[in-house]
Amino acid sequence: MSNFTALIHNENIKIYSRARTWIMLIILAVFSAFLPALMYFTMDNPASRLGVWDSFQMIVSVVFFLNTIFVVVIAADSVAGEFTWGTIKMLLIRPWSRSQILLSKYISIVLFSLLCTAVLIVFGLASSFIFASPTGDTLSSITAWSPAEYSFIDLLCRYVTLFLTVTLAFMISSVFRASGLAIGLSMFIMFAQGIFAALLNPDVFEWARYLIFTHMDLRVYMGSDIGPGGATLGFSIAVLAVYYVIFLAVSWFVFRKRDVAG
Amino acid sequence: MSNTEMLSEPVARLQGVTKKIGSKTLVSNLTLDIPPGQIFGFLGPNGAGKTTTIRMMVGLISISSGDVLISGHSIKNNYKEAIASVGAIVENPEMYKFLSGYQNLRQFARMVPGVSKQRIDEVVELVGLGQRIHDKVKTYSLGMRQRLGVAQALLNRPKLLVLDEPTNGLDPQGIRELRDYLRLLCREEGTTVFVSSHLLSEMELMCDSVAIIQNGQLLEVKQLKEVGNVTMPIGETLFEVDDAEAALALIGQGTLKSGGLVVEAAREEIAEFNARLVAGGIKVYSIKSLARTLEDQFLEVTGGEGIE
Repeated sequence: MSNFTALIHNENIKIYSRARTWIMLIILAVFSAFLPALMYFTMDNPASRLGVWDSFQMIVSVVFFLNTIFVVVIAADSVAGEFTWGTIKMLLIRPWSRSQILLSKYISIVLFSLLCTAVLIVFGLASSFIFASPTGDTLSSITAWSPAEYSFIDLLCRYVTLFLTVTLAFMISSVFRASGLAIGLSMFIMFAQGIFAALLNPDVFEWARYLIFTHMDLRVYMGSDIGPGGATLGFSIAVLAVYYVIFLAVSWFVFRKRDVAG
Repeated sequence: MSNTEMLSEPVARLQGVTKKIGSKTLVSNLTLDIPPGQIFGFLGPNGAGKTTTIRMMVGLISISSGDVLISGHSIKNNYKEAIASVGAIVENPEMYKFLSGYQNLRQFARMVPGVSKQRIDEVVELVGLGQRIHDKVKTYSLGMRQRLGVAQALLNRPKLLVLDEPTNGLDPQGIRELRDYLRLLCREEGTTVFVSSHLLSEMELMCDSVAIIQNGQLLEVKQLKEVGNVTMPIGETLFEVDDAEAALALIGQGTLKSGGLVVEAAREEIAEFNARLVAGGIKVYSIKSLARTLEDQFLEVTGGEGIE
Protein backbone atom coordinates (compact mmCIF):
# COMPACT_ATOMS: atom_id res chain seq x y z
CA MET A 1 0.00 0.00 0.00
CA SER A 2 2.77 2.34 0.86
CA ASN A 3 3.99 3.23 -2.56
CA PHE A 4 4.12 6.54 -4.31
CA THR A 5 0.62 6.22 -5.78
CA ALA A 6 -0.67 6.26 -2.19
CA LEU A 7 0.69 9.79 -1.84
CA ILE A 8 -1.07 10.91 -5.01
CA HIS A 9 -4.21 9.20 -3.78
CA ASN A 10 -3.96 11.21 -0.55
CA GLU A 11 -3.60 14.45 -2.47
CA ASN A 12 -6.56 13.58 -4.67
CA ILE A 13 -8.68 12.94 -1.58
CA LYS A 14 -7.75 16.37 -0.27
CA ILE A 15 -8.82 17.95 -3.56
CA TYR A 16 -12.02 16.04 -4.23
CA SER A 17 -13.44 15.83 -0.73
CA ARG A 18 -13.95 19.57 -0.65
CA ALA A 19 -17.22 21.02 -1.86
CA ARG A 20 -15.57 23.87 -3.74
CA THR A 21 -13.86 21.45 -6.14
CA TRP A 22 -17.20 20.03 -7.19
CA ILE A 23 -18.74 23.46 -7.47
CA MET A 24 -15.93 24.47 -9.82
CA LEU A 25 -16.38 21.35 -11.94
CA ILE A 26 -20.14 21.89 -12.11
CA ILE A 27 -19.67 25.54 -13.13
CA LEU A 28 -17.28 24.44 -15.88
CA ALA A 29 -19.72 21.83 -17.14
CA VAL A 30 -22.69 24.18 -17.02
CA PHE A 31 -20.91 27.03 -18.80
CA SER A 32 -19.56 24.72 -21.48
CA ALA A 33 -22.99 23.27 -22.14
CA PHE A 34 -24.90 26.49 -21.72
CA LEU A 35 -23.27 28.71 -24.37
CA PRO A 36 -24.33 26.74 -27.50
CA ALA A 37 -27.82 26.36 -26.06
CA LEU A 38 -28.01 30.10 -25.47
CA MET A 39 -27.04 30.81 -29.04
CA TYR A 40 -29.52 28.24 -30.31
CA PHE A 41 -32.40 29.85 -28.50
CA THR A 42 -31.46 33.43 -29.25
CA MET A 43 -30.84 33.07 -32.99
CA ASP A 44 -34.03 32.81 -34.98
CA ASN A 45 -32.53 32.32 -38.37
CA PRO A 46 -31.21 28.71 -38.69
CA ALA A 47 -28.93 29.74 -41.53
CA SER A 48 -26.87 32.04 -39.30
CA ARG A 49 -26.20 29.35 -36.71
CA LEU A 50 -22.58 28.49 -35.99
CA GLY A 51 -21.08 25.22 -37.11
CA VAL A 52 -20.26 22.55 -34.51
CA TRP A 53 -16.55 23.34 -34.35
CA ASP A 54 -17.05 27.08 -34.55
CA SER A 55 -19.38 26.76 -31.60
CA PHE A 56 -16.83 24.64 -29.74
CA GLN A 57 -14.12 27.18 -30.52
CA MET A 58 -16.24 29.92 -29.06
CA ILE A 59 -16.84 27.90 -25.89
CA VAL A 60 -13.15 27.20 -25.48
CA SER A 61 -12.19 30.83 -25.94
CA VAL A 62 -14.58 31.88 -23.20
CA VAL A 63 -14.58 29.02 -20.73
CA PHE A 64 -10.85 28.32 -20.83
CA PHE A 65 -10.28 31.40 -18.69
CA LEU A 66 -12.50 29.87 -16.07
CA ASN A 67 -10.66 26.59 -16.47
CA THR A 68 -7.32 28.29 -15.80
CA ILE A 69 -8.67 30.20 -12.80
CA PHE A 70 -10.07 27.08 -11.19
CA VAL A 71 -6.93 25.04 -11.63
CA VAL A 72 -4.83 27.94 -10.33
CA VAL A 73 -7.03 28.11 -7.22
CA ILE A 74 -6.39 24.44 -6.48
CA ALA A 75 -2.67 24.73 -7.28
CA ALA A 76 -2.29 27.82 -5.11
CA ASP A 77 -3.84 26.05 -2.15
CA SER A 78 -1.92 22.83 -2.52
CA VAL A 79 1.17 23.74 -0.50
CA ALA A 80 -0.02 27.00 1.07
CA GLY A 81 -3.12 25.28 2.46
CA GLU A 82 -1.05 22.75 4.37
CA PHE A 83 0.85 25.59 6.00
CA THR A 84 -2.32 27.55 6.76
CA TRP A 85 -3.98 24.52 8.31
CA GLY A 86 -0.80 23.50 10.15
CA THR A 87 -1.14 20.01 8.66
CA ILE A 88 2.24 20.40 6.97
CA LYS A 89 3.79 19.20 10.23
CA MET A 90 1.72 16.04 10.10
CA LEU A 91 2.49 15.52 6.43
CA LEU A 92 6.26 15.91 6.59
CA ILE A 93 7.00 13.66 9.57
CA ARG A 94 6.42 10.48 7.56
CA PRO A 95 8.95 8.21 5.90
CA TRP A 96 8.83 10.15 2.64
CA SER A 97 11.20 12.77 1.36
CA ARG A 98 9.96 16.30 0.86
CA SER A 99 10.60 15.96 -2.86
CA GLN A 100 8.25 13.01 -3.04
CA ILE A 101 5.56 14.86 -1.13
CA LEU A 102 5.86 17.90 -3.37
CA LEU A 103 5.85 15.74 -6.48
CA SER A 104 2.65 14.00 -5.36
CA LYS A 105 1.07 17.41 -4.93
CA TYR A 106 2.19 18.58 -8.34
CA ILE A 107 0.95 15.43 -10.04
CA SER A 108 -2.45 15.72 -8.37
CA ILE A 109 -2.72 19.27 -9.73
CA VAL A 110 -1.78 18.21 -13.24
CA LEU A 111 -4.41 15.48 -13.00
CA PHE A 112 -6.96 18.03 -11.85
CA SER A 113 -6.09 20.33 -14.77
CA LEU A 114 -6.62 17.42 -17.18
CA LEU A 115 -9.95 16.59 -15.56
CA CYS A 116 -11.16 20.19 -15.81
CA THR A 117 -10.10 20.40 -19.45
CA ALA A 118 -11.81 17.08 -20.15
CA VAL A 119 -15.03 18.35 -18.57
CA LEU A 120 -14.84 21.44 -20.75
CA ILE A 121 -14.28 19.36 -23.89
CA VAL A 122 -16.96 16.77 -23.19
CA PHE A 123 -19.71 19.20 -22.22
CA GLY A 124 -18.76 21.79 -24.81
CA LEU A 125 -18.62 19.30 -27.66
CA ALA A 126 -21.78 17.45 -26.63
CA SER A 127 -23.69 20.70 -26.41
CA SER A 128 -22.26 21.91 -29.71
CA PHE A 129 -23.32 18.72 -31.44
CA ILE A 130 -26.82 19.12 -30.05
CA PHE A 131 -27.35 22.83 -30.59
CA ALA A 132 -25.03 23.96 -33.39
CA SER A 133 -25.42 23.43 -37.09
CA PRO A 134 -23.59 20.36 -38.49
CA THR A 135 -22.75 22.39 -41.57
CA GLY A 136 -21.52 25.94 -41.62
CA ASP A 137 -18.09 25.62 -40.10
CA THR A 138 -15.94 28.45 -41.35
CA LEU A 139 -12.70 27.42 -39.66
CA SER A 140 -11.64 25.01 -42.37
CA SER A 141 -11.37 27.79 -44.89
CA ILE A 142 -8.50 29.46 -42.93
CA THR A 143 -6.07 26.58 -42.65
CA ALA A 144 -5.31 23.27 -44.14
CA TRP A 145 -6.47 21.56 -40.98
CA SER A 146 -9.91 20.11 -40.52
CA PRO A 147 -12.09 22.05 -38.03
CA ALA A 148 -11.64 19.28 -35.45
CA GLU A 149 -7.85 19.33 -35.83
CA TYR A 150 -7.78 23.09 -35.66
CA SER A 151 -9.90 23.10 -32.50
CA PHE A 152 -7.77 20.58 -30.71
CA ILE A 153 -4.47 22.20 -31.68
CA ASP A 154 -5.88 25.50 -30.42
CA LEU A 155 -6.91 23.74 -27.21
CA LEU A 156 -3.46 22.25 -26.82
CA CYS A 157 -1.84 25.70 -27.14
CA ARG A 158 -4.19 27.08 -24.53
CA TYR A 159 -3.42 24.13 -22.29
CA VAL A 160 0.30 24.93 -22.54
CA THR A 161 -0.46 28.44 -21.29
CA LEU A 162 -2.59 27.01 -18.49
CA PHE A 163 0.12 24.51 -17.58
CA LEU A 164 2.71 27.26 -17.19
CA THR A 165 0.37 29.56 -15.28
CA VAL A 166 -0.55 26.75 -12.90
CA THR A 167 3.09 25.79 -12.39
CA LEU A 168 3.82 29.41 -11.59
CA ALA A 169 0.99 29.43 -9.04
CA PHE A 170 2.38 26.22 -7.56
CA MET A 171 5.82 27.81 -7.25
CA ILE A 172 4.48 30.93 -5.54
CA SER A 173 2.42 28.74 -3.23
CA SER A 174 5.49 26.72 -2.33
CA VAL A 175 7.77 29.73 -1.89
CA PHE A 176 5.48 32.19 -0.10
CA ARG A 177 3.04 29.76 1.52
CA ALA A 178 0.28 32.20 0.68
CA SER A 179 -2.47 31.02 -1.61
CA GLY A 180 -3.90 34.50 -2.08
CA LEU A 181 -0.64 35.79 -3.48
CA ALA A 182 -0.31 32.74 -5.73
CA ILE A 183 -3.81 33.18 -7.11
CA GLY A 184 -3.47 36.92 -7.53
CA LEU A 185 -0.11 36.88 -9.23
CA SER A 186 -1.01 34.04 -11.57
CA MET A 187 -4.27 35.71 -12.55
CA PHE A 188 -2.45 38.95 -13.15
CA ILE A 189 0.00 37.23 -15.44
CA MET A 190 -2.78 35.41 -17.23
CA PHE A 191 -4.59 38.64 -18.06
CA ALA A 192 -1.60 40.95 -18.46
CA GLN A 193 0.43 38.52 -20.54
CA GLY A 194 -0.94 39.97 -23.78
CA ILE A 195 -0.22 43.54 -22.67
CA PHE A 196 3.34 42.67 -21.64
CA ALA A 197 3.87 40.87 -24.92
CA ALA A 198 2.74 44.00 -26.79
CA LEU A 199 4.65 46.51 -24.64
CA LEU A 200 7.88 44.58 -24.51
CA ASN A 201 8.07 44.04 -28.19
CA PRO A 202 10.96 41.76 -29.10
CA ASP A 203 11.43 43.74 -32.30
CA VAL A 204 12.28 46.76 -30.14
CA PHE A 205 13.96 45.17 -27.17
CA GLU A 206 16.35 42.38 -27.94
CA TRP A 207 16.13 40.90 -24.43
CA ALA A 208 12.34 40.66 -24.67
CA ARG A 209 12.91 37.64 -26.91
CA TYR A 210 13.64 35.71 -23.74
CA LEU A 211 10.62 36.82 -21.74
CA ILE A 212 7.98 34.26 -20.93
CA PHE A 213 5.18 36.66 -21.96
CA THR A 214 6.44 36.79 -25.51
CA HIS A 215 6.02 33.06 -25.94
CA MET A 216 3.14 32.07 -23.70
CA ASP A 217 0.58 32.10 -26.47
CA LEU A 218 1.70 29.46 -28.95
CA ARG A 219 -1.42 29.93 -31.05
CA VAL A 220 0.44 32.53 -33.15
CA TYR A 221 2.20 29.61 -34.83
CA MET A 222 -1.12 28.25 -36.04
CA GLY A 223 -1.28 31.00 -38.61
CA SER A 224 2.40 31.50 -39.43
CA ASP A 225 5.79 29.92 -39.04
CA ILE A 226 7.31 33.08 -37.64
CA GLY A 227 6.46 34.03 -34.10
CA PRO A 228 7.08 37.18 -32.06
CA GLY A 229 10.43 38.80 -32.81
CA GLY A 230 11.10 36.36 -35.59
CA ALA A 231 11.16 33.38 -33.25
CA THR A 232 10.44 29.89 -34.38
CA LEU A 233 8.10 27.44 -32.69
CA GLY A 234 11.13 25.50 -31.51
CA PHE A 235 12.65 28.59 -29.94
CA SER A 236 9.40 29.50 -28.20
CA ILE A 237 9.04 26.00 -26.82
CA ALA A 238 12.65 26.08 -25.63
CA VAL A 239 12.10 29.39 -23.81
CA LEU A 240 8.93 28.09 -22.19
CA ALA A 241 10.71 24.88 -21.19
CA VAL A 242 13.47 26.87 -19.50
CA TYR A 243 10.91 28.88 -17.51
CA TYR A 244 9.06 25.70 -16.62
CA VAL A 245 12.21 24.08 -15.30
CA ILE A 246 13.05 27.23 -13.32
CA PHE A 247 9.57 27.32 -11.75
CA LEU A 248 9.85 23.70 -10.68
CA ALA A 249 13.46 24.03 -9.52
CA VAL A 250 12.60 27.01 -7.32
CA SER A 251 9.55 25.20 -5.88
CA TRP A 252 11.64 22.15 -5.08
CA PHE A 253 14.59 24.01 -3.70
CA VAL A 254 12.53 26.14 -1.33
CA PHE A 255 10.25 23.33 -0.20
CA ARG A 256 13.13 20.99 0.54
CA LYS A 257 15.15 23.55 2.47
CA ARG A 258 12.35 25.22 4.35
CA ASP A 259 12.35 25.23 8.14
CA VAL A 260 8.80 24.37 9.14
CA ALA A 261 8.34 26.51 12.23
CA GLY A 262 5.51 28.47 13.68
CA MET B 1 17.90 1.33 37.33
CA SER B 2 18.05 -2.36 36.55
CA ASN B 3 20.88 -3.89 34.58
CA THR B 4 18.92 -4.64 31.45
CA GLU B 5 17.83 -1.07 31.19
CA MET B 6 21.31 0.18 31.66
CA LEU B 7 22.53 -2.04 28.89
CA SER B 8 19.78 -1.28 26.42
CA GLU B 9 20.41 1.30 23.77
CA PRO B 10 18.81 4.71 24.09
CA VAL B 11 15.84 5.08 21.76
CA ALA B 12 16.93 8.54 20.78
CA ARG B 13 20.26 10.28 21.14
CA LEU B 14 20.68 13.99 20.74
CA GLN B 15 24.31 14.65 20.00
CA GLY B 16 25.46 18.22 20.37
CA VAL B 17 22.32 19.47 18.70
CA THR B 18 22.53 23.15 17.87
CA LYS B 19 20.14 25.46 16.07
CA LYS B 20 21.30 28.84 14.93
CA ILE B 21 19.24 31.35 13.02
CA GLY B 22 21.42 34.23 11.98
CA SER B 23 23.46 35.23 15.00
CA LYS B 24 20.88 33.87 17.42
CA THR B 25 21.44 30.47 18.99
CA LEU B 26 18.10 28.90 19.83
CA VAL B 27 19.43 25.55 20.98
CA SER B 28 23.02 25.17 21.99
CA ASN B 29 25.00 21.94 21.96
CA LEU B 30 22.26 19.79 23.45
CA THR B 31 23.33 16.26 24.27
CA LEU B 32 20.77 13.90 25.68
CA ASP B 33 20.03 10.18 25.65
CA ILE B 34 16.47 9.06 25.94
CA PRO B 35 16.35 5.62 27.53
CA PRO B 36 13.76 3.12 26.30
CA GLY B 37 10.49 2.32 28.01
CA GLN B 38 10.22 5.59 29.89
CA ILE B 39 8.08 8.65 29.89
CA PHE B 40 10.77 11.24 29.52
CA GLY B 41 9.91 14.83 30.25
CA PHE B 42 11.43 17.83 28.53
CA LEU B 43 10.94 20.72 30.83
CA GLY B 44 11.66 24.38 30.44
CA PRO B 45 10.13 27.81 30.56
CA ASN B 46 8.49 29.26 27.47
CA GLY B 47 11.04 30.14 24.85
CA ALA B 48 13.69 27.80 26.24
CA GLY B 49 14.01 25.93 22.95
CA LYS B 50 11.78 22.90 23.61
CA THR B 51 9.74 23.13 20.45
CA THR B 52 12.82 23.98 18.38
CA THR B 53 14.52 20.86 19.69
CA ILE B 54 11.49 18.73 18.94
CA ARG B 55 11.21 20.15 15.44
CA MET B 56 14.82 19.20 14.84
CA MET B 57 14.20 15.71 16.22
CA VAL B 58 11.46 15.06 13.65
CA GLY B 59 13.20 16.81 10.77
CA LEU B 60 10.84 19.76 10.42
CA ILE B 61 13.72 22.17 10.75
CA SER B 62 17.34 21.67 9.85
CA ILE B 63 19.99 21.01 12.47
CA SER B 64 22.76 23.63 12.39
CA SER B 65 25.28 21.27 13.94
CA GLY B 66 25.15 17.97 15.78
CA ASP B 67 22.76 15.15 14.98
CA VAL B 68 19.80 13.23 16.30
CA LEU B 69 19.87 9.46 16.18
CA ILE B 70 16.61 7.59 16.46
CA SER B 71 16.95 3.82 16.84
CA GLY B 72 20.48 4.35 15.59
CA HIS B 73 19.47 6.14 12.39
CA SER B 74 20.52 9.71 11.76
CA ILE B 75 17.66 12.12 11.18
CA LYS B 76 20.02 14.18 9.08
CA ASN B 77 21.39 11.55 6.74
CA ASN B 78 18.94 8.70 7.01
CA TYR B 79 15.65 10.49 7.49
CA LYS B 80 13.23 7.86 6.26
CA GLU B 81 14.62 5.07 8.45
CA ALA B 82 14.89 7.36 11.45
CA ILE B 83 11.41 8.83 11.21
CA ALA B 84 9.83 5.41 10.57
CA SER B 85 10.02 4.59 14.27
CA VAL B 86 8.70 7.94 15.45
CA GLY B 87 5.17 9.10 16.09
CA ALA B 88 4.72 12.76 16.88
CA ILE B 89 2.49 15.68 17.57
CA VAL B 90 4.30 18.96 17.14
CA GLU B 91 2.44 21.76 18.90
CA ASN B 92 -1.24 21.42 18.15
CA PRO B 93 -2.64 18.29 16.54
CA GLU B 94 -3.65 19.89 13.26
CA MET B 95 -5.84 17.76 11.04
CA TYR B 96 -7.72 18.15 7.78
CA LYS B 97 -10.93 19.68 9.10
CA PHE B 98 -12.95 18.87 6.02
CA LEU B 99 -12.24 15.15 6.46
CA SER B 100 -13.56 12.88 9.18
CA GLY B 101 -11.27 11.68 11.94
CA TYR B 102 -11.22 8.29 10.30
CA GLN B 103 -10.34 9.70 6.87
CA ASN B 104 -7.52 11.64 8.51
CA LEU B 105 -6.16 8.44 9.99
CA ARG B 106 -6.46 6.75 6.60
CA GLN B 107 -4.41 9.59 5.10
CA PHE B 108 -1.54 9.01 7.49
CA ALA B 109 -1.93 5.23 7.41
CA ARG B 110 -1.34 5.26 3.65
CA MET B 111 1.96 6.99 4.21
CA VAL B 112 3.53 4.25 6.31
CA PRO B 113 3.94 0.63 5.32
CA GLY B 114 2.00 -2.09 7.10
CA VAL B 115 -0.78 -0.15 8.77
CA SER B 116 -3.89 -2.28 8.41
CA LYS B 117 -7.52 -1.25 8.86
CA GLN B 118 -7.40 -3.31 12.01
CA ARG B 119 -4.59 -1.16 13.38
CA ILE B 120 -6.62 1.98 12.69
CA ASP B 121 -9.55 0.52 14.63
CA GLU B 122 -7.14 -0.45 17.39
CA VAL B 123 -5.79 3.08 17.90
CA VAL B 124 -9.28 4.55 17.68
CA GLU B 125 -10.25 2.16 20.44
CA LEU B 126 -7.18 3.04 22.50
CA VAL B 127 -7.80 6.79 22.47
CA GLY B 128 -11.51 6.24 22.99
CA LEU B 129 -12.92 8.26 20.11
CA GLY B 130 -15.61 5.66 19.40
CA GLN B 131 -18.22 6.48 16.80
CA ARG B 132 -17.27 10.16 16.66
CA ILE B 133 -14.29 9.08 14.56
CA HIS B 134 -16.59 9.20 11.54
CA ASP B 135 -17.57 12.83 12.13
CA LYS B 136 -15.79 15.67 10.40
CA VAL B 137 -12.83 16.98 12.40
CA LYS B 138 -14.26 20.52 12.34
CA THR B 139 -16.93 19.32 14.77
CA TYR B 140 -14.34 18.06 17.28
CA SER B 141 -13.48 19.67 20.58
CA LEU B 142 -9.85 20.36 21.39
CA GLY B 143 -9.74 17.28 23.62
CA MET B 144 -11.00 15.11 20.78
CA ARG B 145 -8.46 16.58 18.38
CA GLN B 146 -5.76 15.81 20.89
CA ARG B 147 -6.95 12.20 21.00
CA LEU B 148 -7.00 12.04 17.22
CA GLY B 149 -3.49 13.48 17.25
CA VAL B 150 -2.32 10.74 19.57
CA ALA B 151 -4.11 8.17 17.42
CA GLN B 152 -2.29 9.26 14.24
CA ALA B 153 1.02 9.27 16.09
CA LEU B 154 0.49 5.66 17.17
CA LEU B 155 -0.49 4.22 13.78
CA ASN B 156 2.99 3.04 12.92
CA ARG B 157 3.61 1.49 16.38
CA PRO B 158 6.39 3.98 17.08
CA LYS B 159 9.28 3.15 19.35
CA LEU B 160 9.42 6.81 20.22
CA LEU B 161 6.37 8.97 20.71
CA VAL B 162 7.17 12.68 20.70
CA LEU B 163 4.57 15.00 22.15
CA ASP B 164 5.05 18.74 22.25
CA GLU B 165 3.10 20.43 25.04
CA PRO B 166 0.31 17.87 24.80
CA THR B 167 -1.59 19.18 27.78
CA ASN B 168 -1.94 22.69 26.36
CA GLY B 169 -5.57 23.67 26.26
CA LEU B 170 -6.81 20.43 27.80
CA ASP B 171 -9.12 20.50 30.80
CA PRO B 172 -8.06 18.62 33.96
CA GLN B 173 -10.13 15.63 32.88
CA GLY B 174 -8.40 15.59 29.50
CA ILE B 175 -4.98 15.90 31.08
CA ARG B 176 -5.76 13.03 33.38
CA GLU B 177 -6.89 10.84 30.49
CA LEU B 178 -3.83 11.70 28.42
CA ARG B 179 -1.61 10.79 31.35
CA ASP B 180 -3.42 7.50 31.78
CA TYR B 181 -3.03 6.36 28.23
CA LEU B 182 0.56 7.48 27.97
CA ARG B 183 1.23 5.28 31.00
CA LEU B 184 -0.72 2.49 29.35
CA LEU B 185 1.27 2.81 26.14
CA CYS B 186 4.53 2.82 27.98
CA ARG B 187 3.56 -0.26 29.94
CA GLU B 188 1.67 -2.29 27.32
CA GLU B 189 3.49 -1.46 24.10
CA GLY B 190 6.85 -0.48 25.55
CA THR B 191 6.67 2.85 23.78
CA THR B 192 9.14 5.47 24.90
CA VAL B 193 7.41 8.80 25.32
CA PHE B 194 9.24 12.09 25.00
CA VAL B 195 6.98 14.84 26.23
CA SER B 196 7.69 18.54 26.53
CA SER B 197 5.96 20.90 28.90
CA HIS B 198 6.40 24.03 30.91
CA LEU B 199 4.02 22.69 33.54
CA LEU B 200 6.11 21.35 36.39
CA SER B 201 3.36 19.69 38.35
CA GLU B 202 2.19 17.92 35.23
CA MET B 203 5.65 16.56 34.49
CA GLU B 204 6.03 15.39 38.04
CA LEU B 205 2.89 13.27 37.75
CA MET B 206 3.60 11.96 34.29
CA CYS B 207 7.28 11.36 33.86
CA ASP B 208 9.94 8.90 34.95
CA SER B 209 12.75 11.33 34.19
CA VAL B 210 12.98 14.92 33.12
CA ALA B 211 15.55 16.96 31.29
CA ILE B 212 15.50 20.62 32.14
CA ILE B 213 16.35 23.14 29.46
CA GLN B 214 16.74 26.88 29.64
CA ASN B 215 17.89 29.41 27.08
CA GLY B 216 18.62 26.62 24.68
CA GLN B 217 20.90 24.78 27.06
CA LEU B 218 20.44 21.54 28.91
CA LEU B 219 20.71 22.20 32.62
CA GLU B 220 20.04 18.88 34.26
CA VAL B 221 18.58 15.42 33.79
CA LYS B 222 16.66 14.09 36.78
CA GLN B 223 15.19 10.77 37.70
CA LEU B 224 11.76 11.31 39.19
CA LYS B 225 10.62 7.80 39.89
CA GLU B 226 13.20 5.18 40.62
CA VAL B 227 12.63 2.29 38.33
CA GLY B 228 13.02 -1.22 39.71
CA ASN B 229 13.75 -2.04 43.33
CA VAL B 230 16.05 0.35 45.04
CA THR B 231 16.05 1.41 48.65
CA MET B 232 14.07 4.42 49.68
CA PRO B 233 16.03 7.50 48.89
CA ILE B 234 17.71 9.29 51.73
CA GLY B 235 16.41 12.78 52.13
CA GLU B 236 17.06 15.73 54.35
CA THR B 237 14.86 16.07 57.40
CA LEU B 238 14.51 19.06 59.67
CA PHE B 239 14.00 18.51 63.39
CA GLU B 240 12.62 21.63 64.99
CA VAL B 241 13.88 21.53 68.56
CA ASP B 242 14.32 23.85 71.54
CA ASP B 243 18.09 23.35 71.72
CA ALA B 244 19.58 22.57 68.33
CA GLU B 245 23.19 22.38 69.53
CA ALA B 246 22.36 19.88 72.21
CA ALA B 247 20.48 17.88 69.64
CA LEU B 248 23.50 17.91 67.33
CA ALA B 249 25.72 16.71 70.14
CA LEU B 250 23.28 13.94 70.92
CA ILE B 251 22.75 12.69 67.37
CA GLY B 252 26.34 13.26 66.31
CA GLN B 253 25.56 14.22 62.70
CA GLY B 254 23.71 16.79 60.67
CA THR B 255 23.90 20.55 60.38
CA LEU B 256 22.33 23.44 62.20
CA LYS B 257 19.90 25.29 60.05
CA SER B 258 16.81 27.44 60.39
CA GLY B 259 16.37 27.00 64.09
CA GLY B 260 16.75 23.27 64.06
CA LEU B 261 18.85 20.33 63.11
CA VAL B 262 18.95 19.06 59.55
CA VAL B 263 20.01 15.46 59.14
CA GLU B 264 20.31 13.17 56.18
CA ALA B 265 18.45 10.07 57.20
CA ALA B 266 16.39 7.20 55.90
CA ARG B 267 12.84 6.75 57.09
CA GLU B 268 13.63 4.31 59.91
CA GLU B 269 16.45 6.45 61.26
CA ILE B 270 14.18 9.45 61.64
CA ALA B 271 12.01 7.62 64.15
CA GLU B 272 15.10 6.42 65.93
CA PHE B 273 16.62 9.93 66.11
CA ASN B 274 13.35 11.26 67.43
CA ALA B 275 13.30 8.66 70.20
CA ARG B 276 16.87 9.54 71.16
CA LEU B 277 16.14 13.28 71.24
CA VAL B 278 13.07 12.82 73.40
CA ALA B 279 14.93 10.43 75.69
CA GLY B 280 17.74 13.05 75.92
CA GLY B 281 15.27 15.62 77.21
CA ILE B 282 15.17 17.74 74.07
CA LYS B 283 11.80 19.06 73.03
CA VAL B 284 10.89 18.14 69.46
CA TYR B 285 8.28 20.53 68.04
CA SER B 286 8.12 19.20 64.53
CA ILE B 287 9.81 16.86 62.09
CA LYS B 288 9.71 18.00 58.49
CA SER B 289 10.97 16.38 55.31
CA LEU B 290 12.99 18.77 53.18
CA ALA B 291 12.59 16.69 50.04
CA ARG B 292 12.36 19.25 47.31
CA THR B 293 9.53 19.23 44.88
CA LEU B 294 10.35 19.33 41.21
CA GLU B 295 9.22 22.91 41.22
CA ASP B 296 11.84 23.83 43.83
CA GLN B 297 14.47 22.02 41.86
CA PHE B 298 13.34 23.60 38.63
CA LEU B 299 13.44 27.09 40.05
CA GLU B 300 16.76 26.29 41.66
CA VAL B 301 18.45 25.13 38.45
CA THR B 302 16.91 27.74 36.24
CA GLY B 303 17.63 30.36 38.87
CA GLY B 304 14.00 31.41 38.69
CA GLU B 305 14.83 33.47 35.63
CA GLY B 306 12.54 34.17 32.79
CA ILE B 307 13.40 34.42 29.15
CA GLU B 308 16.55 36.33 28.55
